[in-house]
Formats: sequence, C-alpha cells, structure tokens
Amino acid sequence: MAMAALRREGKRFALTSPNPINVLRSSLAPSEERMSLGVRGISTQIVRNRMKSVKNIQKITKAMKMVAASKLRAIQVRAENSRGLWQPFTALLGDTPSVDVKKNVIVTISSDKGLCGGINSTSVKISRAMRRLTSGPDKESTYVILGEKAKAQLIRDSRNFIELSITELQKNFLNYTQVSVLADEILKNVEYDALRVVFNKFQSVVSFLPTTATILSPEVVEREAEAGGKLGDLDAYEIEGGETKSEILQNLAEFQFSCVMFNAVLENACSEQGARMSAMDSSSRNAGEMLDRLTLTYNRTRQASITTELIEIISGASALEG
Amino acid sequence: MSSTAAVPFWRAAGMTYISYSNICANLVRNCLKEPHKSEAISREKVHFSLSKWVDGKPEKPNCHVYKLSCF
Repeated sequence: MAMAALRREGKRFALTSPNPINVLRSSLAPSEERMSLGVRGISTQIVRNRMKSVKNIQKITKAMKMVAASKLRAIQVRAENSRGLWQPFTALLGDTPSVDVKKNVIVTISSDKGLCGGINSTSVKISRAMRRLTSGPDKESTYVILGEKAKAQLIRDSRNFIELSITELQKNFLNYTQVSVLADEILKNVEYDALRVVFNKFQSVVSFLPTTATILSPEVVEREAEAGGKLGDLDAYEIEGGETKSEILQNLAEFQFSCVMFNAVLENACSEQGARMSAMDSSSRNAGEMLDRLTLTYNRTRQASITTELIEIISGASALEG
Repeated sequence: MSSTAAVPFWRAAGMTYISYSNICANLVRNCLKEPHKSEAISREKVHFSLSKWVDGKPEKPNCHVYKLSCF
C-alpha cells in the first residue's frame, strides 16, 4: 500500500520535473535497472536534482537579501536627510493635493529592477486612481514615468497618455545634480498646471506609504494665493531684491519641484531596497520549507527501498531454511 | 547685486532656475582645492535615458551623460 503511494510520488516527480534533461535521464537510464530489479528501483535522482536546485535558489535569494540590506543602510540615511529639503517648502506653500486645475501631470516613480514586492504596482495603482480623479471633460492629465517597471505596467492601458519616460536613473549613485537635471528636463518638456509626484515613502523595512506630492505652477500659486488659505499668507513675507512676486514664485516652484523629486526618488529607492529585502527573506524561507519537504520524501523513499530489500533477503533466507 | 539683475537674462535664454542653480553649484565646486575638487566633481555624475512619447509610441531614447563642467 505504502509502496504504491511512493511509486505514484516518484512518477509525479518524473512528470513535473522542470528540467527536461532530468526527465529524459530518469526515463532512459534507470529503466534497465527498473526492469531487472522490479519495484525497488524508484529513482531518487529526480528528487536529488530538485533538492540541489532549490538549495541553489535559496543561496541566491539569501545573497540578494544581504545585498539589499547593505544598500538599504546606505540609502536610508540619505533619504531621511533629504526630507529636510521639501519640508520648508511645505511649511511655506502648503501641500494642496485637492487643487483643481486643467493640466495635470502625474509623475510616477518606480524602480528599474523587479523582485521587490509590490511597491511598483502600488505606485502605478495610485497613479491610475489619480488620473481618474483629475481627468474630466475639459481637463487633461498625462503621465511622466520614472523607471522600467511602471512603464511596463502603464503601457498596457494608458499608452496614449504617456508623455515622457525616464530610465537608467540608478546606474550611478543617486545625487542631487542628477535629479535636478532630470527635473529640469521634465519642466522643459511638459506643460503643466499641477505636477503630482507619486512615490513610496519609506517608513520602515516592511511598511511603505504610497505618497503624492503636489507642485503647482506659478500662475496657479498666484491664483490660489488670492483665494486665501495657506498660500494667502505669502504676502506677509518681505521680498528682497528687485524681482516681482511672479518671478520669485516661478523660481520657487521650479526649485521646489527639483527638491521634491530628489526626496521622492531617494525615498522610492529606499523603499525598493526594503521591499526587496523582505521579499527575498520570505522567498529564502519558502525555499527552506520546500527543501524540508523534499528531504522528507527523499529519505522516506530511500528507507522504503532499503526495507523492501531487507524483507526480500530475510524471506529468501527463511525460505531456504524451511 | 549682480545676481538679481541677471534673472531676466537667463530666463530669456530659456534656462530654468534649476539649471541656473546647477551652474552656480558647479562654479562653487570648481573653487575647491585639488583633492576635494575632483572628489566633489566625480560625486555629481548625471546619467539617465529619457524618451518622449508621441501618439502612444516612445521615440528613440536619448542618453544623458552630462559633464557639468561644460556649462
């Protein structure tokens, strides 16, 4: 009874083995042996190969986790320090996510590489929701995409709304100059009333907050300032030099965008490493569990074949005696 | 106050505040003494590839590898 079950198990491994060479070898090489030895010759080769490959995968995921952990440590400090760049702007201009303008540009920030959990899908999901919220009959909203992963997801249903896509950002170490040149390119290439930056804010290694930051164009800032509210307090500030208010607002809006982008890119890179770390951690744990199950099957099969051989020897001997 | 008088000029040249401030930052970096100078310049590498989309299709990406010292 038990042997039949084991034979089925062995057959299933032979069928589901992902490596065609293994299947071939298992069906060709031991067939001779199986014929001469009968039921005892359940091949453990396939299970052994499977165990080896699972062990290798586990090693790879463990190494990836280590790499992500060390990268995370370096980038976390920078991300946390860069928060000081946008906080003064929010204190001065406020954040107005609910502002209603004609031309919306959604800047979706994602990673270039995968294997980092759900952070890219989260930012894509938020961007889509944002687009649905901001687009209307006389309003339009378009995408600017950072990173391969969001591009691959958004290309499917909103390819007509993509205006710019930027990749290979993380080839070198992220620095402010790079991000500001990038922000400059975005400002030059799109027309906007409000830029909405969507990114994953790093909270801890396991939790990332999908966040949006809104940057208004100088005209909209002026319009909003007349309407009052937080922006209405702008007039209370004394302006040095000979520039007019609109000039200063334009400079401020541009600088604010590059600062917010810098922070957003860093936070997202930080979240990426954190997410990769936890994803790789759980996948090496899964590989361990799988390895345990395979080892159990392997040992049980081995034991069963030994037992069968013993029984045959003993019964043969007792038949001779009797 | 030469900087305040300069604003309309770089604006008219099509520059944004970001590129203006980048040039200023690069000038400051160039004023450093030697071991620090090359270190600071090598830190600020710019590399990304940007492609514009027209009618739902990406145009050929152009790689940006700026050497800021060319400003």
